[in-house]
Amino acid sequence: MQTTRVSVDVGGTFTDIFVINEATGSIAIEKVASSKDPIDAIIAGVASAGVKLKDVALFSHGTTVATNALITRRLPRTAMVCTKGFRDVIEIRRANKEDLWDTYKDVVKPYVPRRDRLTVPERVDSNGNIVEELDEAAAREVARILKRREVDAIAVCFMNAYTNGANERAMRDILVKMLPDTPVSISSEVLPEIFEHERFSTTVANAALSPIVVDYTSRLGDALAEQGYSRDLLMLHTGGGVMTPQSVRDFAARLAGSGIAAGAIASRHIAMMCGFPNSIGLDMGGTSTDVSLAYGGQSRVTKDWYIEYGYPIRFPAIEVMTIGAGGGSLAWRDEAGSLRNGPDSAGARPGPACYGNGNEQATNTDANVFLGRLGTSLAGGKITLDAELAEAAVTRTVAEPFGLEPHAAADAILKVANANMSDAVRLISVTRGLDPRDFALVAFGGAGSLHGVDVARELSIPVVIVPPNPGVTSALGCLLVDIQHDFGESYIVAVGDADAGALEAAFSRLEAEAHARLKHEGIADEDIVIQRTIDMMYQGQWRSLAVSVPSPVVSIEELVGRFHEEHAAEYNYRRDDAPVSFYRLNLRAVGAVAKAQLPEYEPTGETPAPTTHREVWFEPSASVSTPIYDRATLPAGFKFDGPAVVEQLDSTVLVPPGASAEVDPHLNIIIRV
Amino acid sequence: MTKDITLDPVTFEVLKNSFINSVDQMAEQVLRTCYSFVMYNRDFSSALHDANGECAAQGNQDIAVHVGTLHFTCKSVLDAFKDEMKPGDVYAINCPYLGGTHFSDVRLVRPIFADGKVLAYSQSNGHWADLGGSVPGSFDVMARDMFKEAMRITPVRLWREGEFLWDVANLMANNTRDPGSIIGDIQSQYQATMVCEREILRLVDKYGRDTVETGLAEVQDYVERSVRQRIAALPDGEWTTVDFIDRDPSGGEGLIPIHVKLTIKGDKAYYDFEGSHPVIASIYNSTYSGTFSAVAAGMKTFFPDLPLNSGFYRAFEIKVPEGSIVDAQWPIAVTGFLMPFEKIMNSIYEMWSKILPERAIACAFNLEYLLTGGTDARHGSKNMFMFYDWLPGGWGGRNGKDGCNTTTACFGTGLMAQPVEGQERAAPIRTTHFEIETDSPGPGKWRGGAGVRKTSILLDAENTVISYICDRERAVVWGIEGGLPSSPHGLALSREGEENDEWLGAIFSDVPIKKGDVFSRPTAGGGGFGDPMERDIQAVLDDVIDDYVSVERAAKDYGVVIKAIDPEILQYEVDYEATERERAAIKAARAGWLQEDPEAVAEAYKAGKIDKLDVIRRHAVLLDWETGDVLPKSTAQFRETHQRRTADHWA
Repeated sequence: MQTTRVSVDVGGTFTDIFVINEATGSIAIEKVASSKDPIDAIIAGVASAGVKLKDVALFSHGTTVATNALITRRLPRTAMVCTKGFRDVIEIRRANKEDLWDTYKDVVKPYVPRRDRLTVPERVDSNGNIVEELDEAAAREVARILKRREVDAIAVCFMNAYTNGANERAMRDILVKMLPDTPVSISSEVLPEIFEHERFSTTVANAALSPIVVDYTSRLGDALAEQGYSRDLLMLHTGGGVMTPQSVRDFAARLAGSGIAAGAIASRHIAMMCGFPNSIGLDMGGTSTDVSLAYGGQSRVTKDWYIEYGYPIRFPAIEVMTIGAGGGSLAWRDEAGSLRNGPDSAGARPGPACYGNGNEQATNTDANVFLGRLGTSLAGGKITLDAELAEAAVTRTVAEPFGLEPHAAADAILKVANANMSDAVRLISVTRGLDPRDFALVAFGGAGSLHGVDVARELSIPVVIVPPNPGVTSALGCLLVDIQHDFGESYIVAVGDADAGALEAAFSRLEAEAHARLKHEGIADEDIVIQRTIDMMYQGQWRSLAVSVPSPVVSIEELVGRFHEEHAAEYNYRRDDAPVSFYRLNLRAVGAVAKAQLPEYEPTGETPAPTTHREVWFEPSASVSTPIYDRATLPAGFKFDGPAVVEQLDSTVLVPPGASAEVDPHLNIIIRV
Repeated sequence: MTKDITLDPVTFEVLKNSFINSVDQMAEQVLRTCYSFVMYNRDFSSALHDANGECAAQGNQDIAVHVGTLHFTCKSVLDAFKDEMKPGDVYAINCPYLGGTHFSDVRLVRPIFADGKVLAYSQSNGHWADLGGSVPGSFDVMARDMFKEAMRITPVRLWREGEFLWDVANLMANNTRDPGSIIGDIQSQYQATMVCEREILRLVDKYGRDTVETGLAEVQDYVERSVRQRIAALPDGEWTTVDFIDRDPSGGEGLIPIHVKLTIKGDKAYYDFEGSHPVIASIYNSTYSGTFSAVAAGMKTFFPDLPLNSGFYRAFEIKVPEGSIVDAQWPIAVTGFLMPFEKIMNSIYEMWSKILPERAIACAFNLEYLLTGGTDARHGSKNMFMFYDWLPGGWGGRNGKDGCNTTTACFGTGLMAQPVEGQERAAPIRTTHFEIETDSPGPGKWRGGAGVRKTSILLDAENTVISYICDRERAVVWGIEGGLPSSPHGLALSREGEENDEWLGAIFSDVPIKKGDVFSRPTAGGGGFGDPMERDIQAVLDDVIDDYVSVERAAKDYGVVIKAIDPEILQYEVDYEATERERAAIKAARAGWLQEDPEAVAEAYKAGKIDKLDVIRRHAVLLDWETGDVLPKSTAQFRETHQRRTADHWA
């Protein structure tokens, strides 16, 4: 019986493996150092977790391979074929900069240098009329040159191709004929949407990543098969679903940012299990914190994102806001006397002062150690922290410069870090008209559960959830998703000119495409779920708002009504007399994959004993003798009040005075703050 | 010196970040709901002020050109209404003579009350697409006074105690060409001021009114203290420079000087514009607030990490000659104040480059703004269309780095270029070419960034006119530390059926065009930094392979002789011996080229022996690019600054 599910999240430092045996309900987690070829660590980690791949029913995987390739520019040689006169769209971009004031901080160079951007005569107008046929002689000439240059991938990017892809397809036919082994991405298929830079940028990333991820997935697939795995390898994409190797070939850029989405998915799922459809994920690691949001059980999705500033990838992606606040973030006094925290970090080496590797500047971890919130023996005794070095660093970096008592200084460091994280949460919640009081905070990552309650209190969030294995939550996320594809196309029509029948036809066409793709991936019809939305705006506005669309479309008026309501909810006002326009069709096609059942435990009624007591400062003025629990000993149903500290291999949970906690049947700790 | 922080460190840091966060939230609201395409492309700003109208926080991504003016307009509103403000009131203002920039920038100001008294103000400033006046878009190049330019809004109440004064709003909207959108933008900006109010009241709830009030003051002191400490660490001294507007349309030939003297004394910087030209007969004049803003934006470039607020403004002073081009008074036309603005900014770049060489930067290309309007005859129905376009260009070479290619003008680096596909839907104009312009970068050891060229053809349209707001057709983008200038701005028109192009230059208004006419304009690259004869030969070769620089100009501008072996597979070869000879020959001859009689240079140009770039880069001569005739006074002015910025630095 194949009853085991395995998911692997490969990060920069560690490769996390999460194994669940559905027959027995047992869970195993394994953390191994990432390797140069990520596949080595995956195979080694799976082996050391004791998994037999022939018993595995499903293997899913989040990877940073695509992200890293873009950032390091270790990309195959990629060429562009553009409309004559438009060779430089991806270099001109929108011409803006990330840092407006620092004239020495540049936007990075485009993925394809100017020398490899060639052009051919052809032109389509904004209505999709072919103004100029593709010059086939010139196209063959371009193909001949690219062949001589031995390029590894090609992106075909023609003006207005979102309205008519005929010239792009004709160009591809010529390329495929003359360079049969070179992958070709064309913009009208990768992303049939208006605005040339965004479409071309996505297409170029897709083309450049294609050889890399195809090579990676096929090598990984082979390596797993060699060990006996007989099913599909499922790759997590940024949209919050997985895709099979068949789709990876055509939509390689969907894997860019893959790993980042995993934590957000897990956070949403855990909160749902606990009965909270509205949740905020706080994934705090060593150098940064990822904040994500789910509302009504759905992750917040954006199309406005990039791996590197200036080069958008316009596939829908789970929205994650990253800020420079982690356990290793450095506290400092700036020249004008303000107490700062981050974004510079002590990293893993030398790490916080208490690691004893030479850093003498205080970090959040040092403040936590000095206040007794974090113990000095971590990971089951594998890591020892030096409380005296932590105190010295806090004293030197903050207490002395600000004239504070050392405990007050440590408390101040943490308050600033918590305030910075709260600001990030506010930006993705309050700014969008969402009230944090309606949410639960899921605290994970190595340091999230130390700060979770304080952040929640700052934002008036009533509940904090700490999952059983906060350090491998992303790997869990890879396990909890369905196969999912997102389709979209421009649909710029004033509602006055729109017709429900035509709109239904347009959606039906996308649905047929979606069914075909999922079928190709082996999904049965009854497992397919389709969600339709349409982007709308007041005519004259520049940003649109997604409104859900029933199947079949009822009437245009009904959609307009929904839009007014959404606009009022999101932006606080509506203009019932102003004309409204459609902008874009979106379709999400989900192929349901049977989910792993996370084990449930009956309350035992036992009351575990604390392993010890320790002085912990929750307020700078005085310490409290606080029970320290070993998480492995906490049974389902166990209730306890703060102050308490729960220690486990990969993190520490802080339950301050005034808060009460309970272990739920899935062994999540639910804290009422 | 400023006071030290009295708030405890945590409260101070939290308030400081929360203030910035509150204005960033305003920006988010505007971006998502605005109607003006200019605003959508980020020509807007947001601010939080203390009860005196001083700026306590401005948005991180706000456009440079609004920096340093928001506190002026807030104070003007305060002066007008101070005794009668009520919670829920919101006021509008756009007056450049009362602290604004130009009429297009309309600000909404909301007093934020706590415990019955004004604690703070939030202000949302956005560039509306139209404000009436004689031409669509309210940029009439021919205007001499504000009555032709646009509607002037002196402080006026738009909401009274939460009630929308629709009559006032309609009066404003109905004096523009697109009343529906104007009402939409008013709503968008109004909501933005409310977002900020909500955040500030949340802070009051948590920390109390007094603490927030103290915080509003102390964040300004904090920034002031940072700037002053850094200035105090610099040696005292005096620096002077001059930059130019191309011409005064009503005057004779000759560049229009803007002089700046910078004095650093103790912990403060002083800018004196003594000697600058009187106001000119075009819209290229700046009011006091516009000039103040240019100084603030230019100087902020050298303090990029500090938050923006009034504390920064207290670290410097400016002095302007009354009635000069940098101190235009009512009712002088000022809509094109961006032209003097950018001259001042680049002058400040030049002077601070000497003070902080690690952040040195040569001149950036000039902002350009094309306005076309007429009747769209494409789809049967005859709708009015407006095609307003601005292009990116090259920024100056830097100390150890080439300049940035194709970046937004320095007056507003947050501004985005528009997508051609969007423009082609909206207007009967097809773009046939939009690429980097080869050889546009100003040569230098570190070359300037590359500019672009955009060429467009008018499709089915009637009653169409074209206007252009630009500069540096003559006062060409310059290099520093021995670097060379880039290339002149200006638009050429190719009429359907005519053989020769018409050179319309960098400033013109209301030129009629017809279906089939083609207009084409480049933007300049950035000026070069350092002697181009010292540029790394491999870097020149790479530029040739990427076609940023042609083989021909690699030899002329850099003395690097390159042979194309097999361009199809990018094989080029440097001839090192010939390069050594060429570089020696250029070094020996170039001082003489700058002495050559301008008339002789003009003759050679007319005879086709040398081209435009030779005229500028080798001889520092300015011609009328239409006729090829010498501009003697302009040339003398240009040569003088070229000598100082460039030739004097050659070894």
